[in-house]
Amino acid sequence: MSAPLPDLLPAPDATPAAPVRKKVRGRASTLRIWIPAGFLILLAFACFIWPQIYPVPKPVGGSILEAGLPPLSPGHIFGTDPNGNDVLSRILYGGQVSFEVGFSVTAIGLVIGGLLGMAAGYWRGVTDTSIMRVLDVLIAFPALVLALAIAEGLGPSEPHVIWALAIFSIPAFGRIARSGTLAIREQNYMLAARLSGSRGRHIILRHVIPNILPQLMTFALLGFGIVIILEGALSYLGLGIPLPEPSWGSMIAQGQQVLSATPEQALIPSAFLFATVVALNLLGDGLRERWGVR
Amino acid sequence: MNRVSTVGGPLLEVENLTVSFPGRRGDLRAVNGVSYSLYPQQTLAIVGESGSGKTVSCRALMGLLPPAAVVAGSARFQGAELLGLTDDEMRRHRGTNIAMVFQDPSRSLNPTMKVGNQIAEAVRVHRRVSKAEAREQAIELLRLVHIPVPGQRFHEYPHQLSGGMRQRIMIAIALACRPKLLIADEATTALDVTTQAQIMDLLLELRAELGMTLMLISHDLGLARSCADEVIVMYAGQIVEQASTPQLFTRVRMPYTQALLEAIPRLERPAHSPLPVIGGRPPDLSALPAGCSFAPRCRRAADDCRTTPPPLAEHEPGHRWACWHPIDTGVA
Amino acid sequence: MTSGAEPLLSVRDLVQEFVVRDYGGVKGGVVNAVSGVSFNVWPGETLGIVGETGSGKSTLARSVLQAPRPKKGTVTFRGTDLVTLSGSRLLQARRHLQMVFQDPFGSLDPKWKVRDLVAEPLIAYRVGDRAARRHRVDQVLELVGLDPAAHGGRRPRELSGGQAQRVAIARALAIEPAMIICDEPVSSLDVLIQAQVLNLFEQLRAELGLSYLFIAHDLALVKQVSDRVAVMYLGKLAEVGPGEAVYRQPLHPYTRALLDSVPGAATARAATTIRGEPPSPIHPPSGCRFRTRCPRAEQRCADEEPAMRELATGHSVACHFPLVPVAEVTVRSEQKIGETP
Repeated sequence: MSAPLPDLLPAPDATPAAPVRKKVRGRASTLRIWIPAGFLILLAFACFIWPQIYPVPKPVGGSILEAGLPPLSPGHIFGTDPNGNDVLSRILYGGQVSFEVGFSVTAIGLVIGGLLGMAAGYWRGVTDTSIMRVLDVLIAFPALVLALAIAEGLGPSEPHVIWALAIFSIPAFGRIARSGTLAIREQNYMLAARLSGSRGRHIILRHVIPNILPQLMTFALLGFGIVIILEGALSYLGLGIPLPEPSWGSMIAQGQQVLSATPEQALIPSAFLFATVVALNLLGDGLRERWGVR
Repeated sequence: MNRVSTVGGPLLEVENLTVSFPGRRGDLRAVNGVSYSLYPQQTLAIVGESGSGKTVSCRALMGLLPPAAVVAGSARFQGAELLGLTDDEMRRHRGTNIAMVFQDPSRSLNPTMKVGNQIAEAVRVHRRVSKAEAREQAIELLRLVHIPVPGQRFHEYPHQLSGGMRQRIMIAIALACRPKLLIADEATTALDVTTQAQIMDLLLELRAELGMTLMLISHDLGLARSCADEVIVMYAGQIVEQASTPQLFTRVRMPYTQALLEAIPRLERPAHSPLPVIGGRPPDLSALPAGCSFAPRCRRAADDCRTTPPPLAEHEPGHRWACWHPIDTGVA
Repeated sequence: MTSGAEPLLSVRDLVQEFVVRDYGGVKGGVVNAVSGVSFNVWPGETLGIVGETGSGKSTLARSVLQAPRPKKGTVTFRGTDLVTLSGSRLLQARRHLQMVFQDPFGSLDPKWKVRDLVAEPLIAYRVGDRAARRHRVDQVLELVGLDPAAHGGRRPRELSGGQAQRVAIARALAIEPAMIICDEPVSSLDVLIQAQVLNLFEQLRAELGLSYLFIAHDLALVKQVSDRVAVMYLGKLAEVGPGEAVYRQPLHPYTRALLDSVPGAATARAATTIRGEPPSPIHPPSGCRFRTRCPRAEQRCADEEPAMRELATGHSVACHFPLVPVAEVTVRSEQKIGETP
């Protein structure tokens, strides 16, 4: 019989298979991820943690005597709004709202939409058709009109905003999950898993999810930004977070009324909204590049 | 086989060609000092496994390497230097002097364009002719590559054609301006055996008819044996053996070439007989061993093999090899 | 070679078709990928199936495994017809039938580690406890020539082609199959690595008594590895017989053409004995499917489809005008004619 068969070398191992499998690594790529990520982490810290450890003026119940102070006034770095509330504080608490709504809507979409999409893509047939019809119905609702209806009917509040936007988010994730699942479904390693005896649920959990997760995560980050904007829009229209609770959207609306006199009232929340969404987009793009998602 | 004339000097002269790619763990030397000459109307086969450098060295000749590649040495086509040319200068060589046919025709053909138009476009890139004239030439080329009913096939799209047909289209495109040298880079690897035979017959026929020189790049020694006059065997970026076909296969010298020959399944062999194998894998091109690159896997390796790389030299007329302990009695 | 009365795998009249959809989802045609294929594989035997692109050999392999289920025909493995089963009963019946694919990297989940990949069938079929499984994984990795400590924790992209294919083989071996279907298992490997992996197949065959259904497009490769060889063309078997017999005395003109097309034959290159392009499997030629490229075709070939006839011991051909005239060959009488090879 022939000698033992290894094609091992005693030399350095981990010789890569083919030169094609290079990941895009490098300093630029890492920075593109960590700069926006750093900004978002800082912002989240500022919005959620900072007010717990440092006495920040309350965002509501301000004294009318302090209304309309300009930025860089003593005790009010960003000034106060027409009701006398500290703008910085309202920015921070409004930021909480943005993060909460963004996160909840995205999470609901990711979990429910993702699972539905994967089930539809993997099992196809009747499962696929019925799930996709339901999702098609959901996606047919214009999000803002629906939110308007909910706000009119049930009254505006944070949970209502979340559910209204979730109706939009679930089918979006569902489609992404389904197309991602379809793409890998015909791969030989899926067939190999079935031939190894693995069942559907196990295959979805251990094979499908890890392979479509990069796609879903990058989409989730972009979606996060979109949701924040939508929440802002709803609040701007008065259909989202009800006053006097702070929200970047309603702050912009209020600021619009005093735009000529004190433009910063509108510009400051706009700037935060803009920066947050841009950071989310950049982070999503950076991760997409790093993970090779198309 | 073809009687090659060495009169008039070589068509292509490659001298000490080196190609390296910058890498994280050091430079990757894909081609490590390759020198050879190609004479008019010769059929040269460059044979090697993946990572041997055969494809990279030919892409260097055509200027088809990514910008990160560092190319050194010289490659002269009829005296004119090919390396380091600008895109414009290179374009003048491509098509009229050198043309290349690649492995996967479905990737090289535009799926949204009629095949006839793609040939005609190739004609018009290099020659100033009218559209009608280019069309005529395209149909003529289709006929040259034995595509039946060329006038009709002109209007078809790549997806309507079989793999063999598509490769014929690629050959027609390559021949659009009657190049002096045609490089076939694994041109038949993706094709079926019967189609491969037909395409190889076609290439040899065209070589004779058009007075072309043919360079075949392949991992298939059997193909080299049946189609080429001269064979170069490459390993880890270098030439390890070169000889005329009969010489190489009857008097093989380099142990690597012998290992390749022995490892190919052959019809004459009885079933279930174990194939003679050598262990190991080709070396990491960014960390080449001192001495002969093949020494770690070679049965005949001795101490001098591991310390000093053997030079490529013409130890016998018409037969070069790079080995300190070549095989004395070669067996095909 | 052939032992025991019952074949391990018995395929009868297998038919597999795919609907081709035009734009708008309208049915554009049917690809007759496999059109009535029958063969047996005995325990310990290797049956090689050689065919070119479009022959349907890969579809045949998958249809045997019910992925997807064939449109017609029976696939009897160890006495049970797989076509009639589904769900967990199919999984149980198919347990001892495994597959190795052409592209080693495509058949291994890129996110999994080698150890988990090899253990997957053990977990799915609930073999042993965690310790026993780990032991088996190590055992089977060593069997294919890999070092469990060095390679077990790696992902496919950290392996070479040969190593990845060994992992795929290890996974196939994990639950002690009786038969492995190999679909072009070495075609994407370099020559020297190819030889190593082929030797591995032989070694496993000798040590474990495995049967193989070995599919490839390289006739020399198939013959090297097989006891019997079946030649497939456009969805049908053209010729089946012992490897040596098919090589020395091919009966079907297509087999002859394949042999002549092998480059580097010891004799000078024979002129190719095949014409034209392969026809489309959506519109296969009437009668004998090879007739449009056959130098020996006559009117009868267009009118009547040739049946598989046994012209010598264990050597059958489906041709009206086989290369050896029928009269010169021992033709078995009685029901032997038409018996499945």
